[in-house]
Amino acid sequence: MTDNDNFLERLRTDARPLRYEPDEMMSTRIAARVRERIAAESHAGIAQMLARWFRPVVVSLATLALVATLGIQWAEQSHDASAATMDTLTSTQTVDISVGGDTFSVE
Amino acid sequence: MTSLPMFEGAGAGSLGFDRLAFGVEKAPTRSATNEDPIEARAIAAVKTGDAAAYDYLVSKYMRRVVSIAWGVVRNAADAEDLAQEAFVKAFENIGRFKTGEPFGPWIYRIVTNLGLDVMKHRKRFRHEEITDSAPAERRDRADLPAISNELAERIDRGIESLPDMQRMVARLYLVEEFGHAEIATMTGLSEGTVRSHLSLARGKLKEKLADLHGGSND
Repeated sequence: MTDNDNFLERLRTDARPLRYEPDEMMSTRIAARVRERIAAESHAGIAQMLARWFRPVVVSLATLALVATLGIQWAEQSHDASAATMDTLTSTQTVDISVGGDTFSVE
Repeated sequence: MTSLPMFEGAGAGSLGFDRLAFGVEKAPTRSATNEDPIEARAIAAVKTGDAAAYDYLVSKYMRRVVSIAWGVVRNAADAEDLAQEAFVKAFENIGRFKTGEPFGPWIYRIVTNLGLDVMKHRKRFRHEEITDSAPAERRDRADLPAISNELAERIDRGIESLPDMQRMVARLYLVEEFGHAEIATMTGLSEGTVRSHLSLARGKLKEKLADLHGGSND
């Protein structure tokens, strides 16, 4: 054993009382808090897991609902537009009817 | 109860858990097998989701973890917070823990890493008042355990007067009685660096405690 080792070994022996010893209260408190935090994290973990499953489902349903709404709206709009076009056509064209040599124009 | 602000928002990365996992998984030469069958069973149970089994590990390593924490923060309330944080972090990262290895080095490394973070945090916030010439004055000595032994108190002052890493290494070696390899694993330093810190610390302590040890070379 070298001189350095001897010195450190002697210091080790002399420094033994410096080791901190937590009392019973402190140990119990730490154990209880650790337990509490772990339990809280487990609950949070379940919530996160549910959120992981539900989030995509909710997003998919919302997307479907949006697409359906937009589709219906578009279909209604295009139906209205074609109806309006027919009205326009019929309202601007005149029909000539000849009865007894006379010609009547009907709008 | 005070809370340590450095834990707020601290992610696993900032606490060096990547390094931690690497160290435990990739150092088979240093690792020992777990010789406590109850501990091995408790770890296996915790890994499968039985949180209650963690109580055994907490109670088994409580004293040592608190003592390591106290060596860094130097007051009971902060040591309590640090120990608590270490146990929770260990639980959160238990999935990375290699089955069959003892839990001790793992939890000691976690609490040491947290302690190093506390040291960095304190250094940042007390930068103005810290000088190399009088590092001992910055320590909070209000909450020291009752050291009846004058010699031990002198050694404590000597250790506390050392620069941060030397102090950490000296304390782990002298007070906690860890070996060089264990300290290297715990701090993430190489064994050579640990020996170097210890050698520097030894020189300074020898000077400070010359009267107690007769000023001899041994």
